[in-house]
Amino acid sequence: MFEFAKCMNTDPGIVERWIRQGRIPVKRKGDVCVFNRDILEKWASAHNMRFVMSGSDPAAMAEKKSAGLLGAMKKGGVHYDVPGSSVSEVLRAAVDRIDGIQARDTRDLLYEKLLDREKMISTGIGGGVAVPHPRTPIQDENMDTLIAACFLKNPVDFHAVDKKPVELLFVLVAPSAKHHLHLLSRISFCLRDDSFLTFLKTRPEREVFFNRVAGFEKRLDQDEQQ
Amino acid sequence: MGLYDKVKTWIGESPQWLGGDDRLLLIIFGALVGCCSGLAAVALNFSLHAMEGFFSSYRFHWYFFVLPGMGAALSSLFLEKIIQEGAGHGVPEVVYSVSRHGGLLRMRSMFSRLVSSSLTIGSGGSAGPEAPVVMSGSAIGSNIARFFSLNERQRIALVGCGSAGAVAGVFNAPIAGLVFTIEVIVGEWTALNIVPIAVASVAGAQISRLLQGNQIPFTHLHFDVDISTTLAAAGLAIITAAGCILLTRAIRKSHHVSGKVPVPLWVRAAIGGCIVGLVGLFLPQVLGEGYSVIQKMVEGSFTGGFALVLMLMLAKIAATSVTLGWGGSGGIFAPCLVVGSFSGLMYYRGIDALWPGLLQVNEGCFALLGMAGMIGGMLQAPLTAIFLIVEITGGYETILPLILVSVISTTVCHYFEPASFYFRDLIEKGYYLRPRTDAKVLADLRISELVEKDCISVPKNMSLGEFVKVVQQSRRNYFPVIDEITGAFAGMIHLDDIRPYLFDTLLHDTVFLEQIMTTDVETVDIDDDLSEVLSRMDVSGSFSMPVVTNQRFVGMVSKATLLDKYRKELMLQTTD
Repeated sequence: MFEFAKCMNTDPGIVERWIRQGRIPVKRKGDVCVFNRDILEKWASAHNMRFVMSGSDPAAMAEKKSAGLLGAMKKGGVHYDVPGSSVSEVLRAAVDRIDGIQARDTRDLLYEKLLDREKMISTGIGGGVAVPHPRTPIQDENMDTLIAACFLKNPVDFHAVDKKPVELLFVLVAPSAKHHLHLLSRISFCLRDDSFLTFLKTRPEREVFFNRVAGFEKRLDQDEQQ
Repeated sequence: MGLYDKVKTWIGESPQWLGGDDRLLLIIFGALVGCCSGLAAVALNFSLHAMEGFFSSYRFHWYFFVLPGMGAALSSLFLEKIIQEGAGHGVPEVVYSVSRHGGLLRMRSMFSRLVSSSLTIGSGGSAGPEAPVVMSGSAIGSNIARFFSLNERQRIALVGCGSAGAVAGVFNAPIAGLVFTIEVIVGEWTALNIVPIAVASVAGAQISRLLQGNQIPFTHLHFDVDISTTLAAAGLAIITAAGCILLTRAIRKSHHVSGKVPVPLWVRAAIGGCIVGLVGLFLPQVLGEGYSVIQKMVEGSFTGGFALVLMLMLAKIAATSVTLGWGGSGGIFAPCLVVGSFSGLMYYRGIDALWPGLLQVNEGCFALLGMAGMIGGMLQAPLTAIFLIVEITGGYETILPLILVSVISTTVCHYFEPASFYFRDLIEKGYYLRPRTDAKVLADLRISELVEKDCISVPKNMSLGEFVKVVQQSRRNYFPVIDEITGAFAGMIHLDDIRPYLFDTLLHDTVFLEQIMTTDVETVDIDDDLSEVLSRMDVSGSFSMPVVTNQRFVGMVSKATLLDKYRKELMLQTTD
């Protein structure tokens, strides 16, 4: 009953009255609501109302997907020895290696967007790390939130803030600005830790790297809960 | 698994295989309810006839006048002691339950009015059997709906089915049953209502035909209706409207008078019955439902001049108002018909005396038109009047003057008595809520559904400095102040009130909330009526009010939230 009211985005008292008055195609058995989803969705749209089953809300789903830095990183994958000697070359190579992108067109689009962004101002945030990302979210339904960690074969001059050559890229792709900011703040939290930077210099194995990120993530989640 | 469970499961699942639609379900139940209420109508007809036959031999003795008194007293005792219901005819009760309680009626109402009204009318009281049958039929519908756990919308439809089946059965008039129910009981013309109600009408009329034969209550000769009749009908409407107003006011007046007599209800009813019996000694035509008199008039075989008819009309009004006003049980349908036919006849005689030979048509035609005018005016339901009279007299040839007389009479009555006889009390109490109206939507929404609970309560002796921190965290402009010891609501702080002090850091530690809060705040209780709360908001010009119950702050109720919820509710109630 309460869950159902949440799905309808109203007060349980109101939903209860609607069912009693027969205004809504839902049956009530004790504290459980019985309904046919198709009929109810049709009804909801006919009455200008929102009916969202918990778990099927697209926004909430995306939230869940993006919530994890670790999840995003696993989707993007960790890539070693990415070749290239200029910004555009490494970006191209990185984009080609990212996991989780199916269409060729999407890759091209992403590459162009990343380049555009770099032209404005470098995403090299210092410490040999850059976080290339598109300025606006890519409109593609199949696009997941992902972060690809790309260790470069040779350090490349990224015009970073501290003028140091960049050895590691975190290519960040998110479906919305909100998730983008969320992930960016998490990455920057990790990079503020000097020991993490030295750890990255060692070009760690995939599993070791993920374990380390998971540790950060746990701390961040705890902070948020407080 | 018993049959009951099987049917219930079937009902539970039917919306799925019908594509979420319960129309078929309602049609089937409508037919069932229509049959049951048709049976109730036949039963009441039968018992009235039996009692009339039984008492007819005593009718000529002088002591006969106590009989209506005894009948009324018995019916009042029955209602008061055994059934524990108030007297009255039942239609307002049905409308009240439809508008306020989703058509919930008690099971005992299925037969209570049948018994009490047959006692009243059978013994000679001047009242009609139709409203009690409507009450029974509606109660049957309501209880069948409850038995199968249908929801309120479906239950209201079945209550309508019951009333339609009853009217259709008692008059053998299916269209009148349908139209009366939609116009008076349900008040909503939607396909969802009309279909099952129409089916119930057919079922009720069919049952009545099976058991009583397909007879038209008032057969008549052929009328040659010409333009003079149609024009004269407009004048008749004024007479019937006057009759309606007289009858309405007389019933109410007699109710007031009887209320001042300091005796038990049943004694009161007995006195009223005896008065009617006394009148009946001299004018026996006013006793009972009076259908035989109508029949005579419609046939044109009623003898007696203008003066007698006028006297009879007034006597019928008096007898009806005394019967109903003093605690007898019955409806006004039949008395309306009788008074209407008297007034029609009187009008005819009057015109005929002034301009002999002007009206070519038989006087029975005017008795018939008078009935339509009276029903239309009394119920303020012109369509019911038109269809009922056409059906119970089988006289379609009078349709033109019929329409005219019933609409004019309704309009004139409405001018003097804005509310119909049935609804007047309900409107006075604020219980008259028609579907799809502002009042209905407001009555359905409860304060508890609108209250916003995200206000941060602050204690009385908090300093302004601490309060500023609270303001930072809050998303709202209102802050209820409570007494930290008792937890009682003490006052409100609105940001606008304290803006000048807010940035004065000197005051932060010297001023306490107790000093700056507003204490004379108007509050509402969580159980208050929304319409009342809204009118208070309009008077004070405020947009929101704190909800305080048992001195505890519950939340805020604001017009903004109300609009949101109101709109949702309105959309829900006005789209099918």
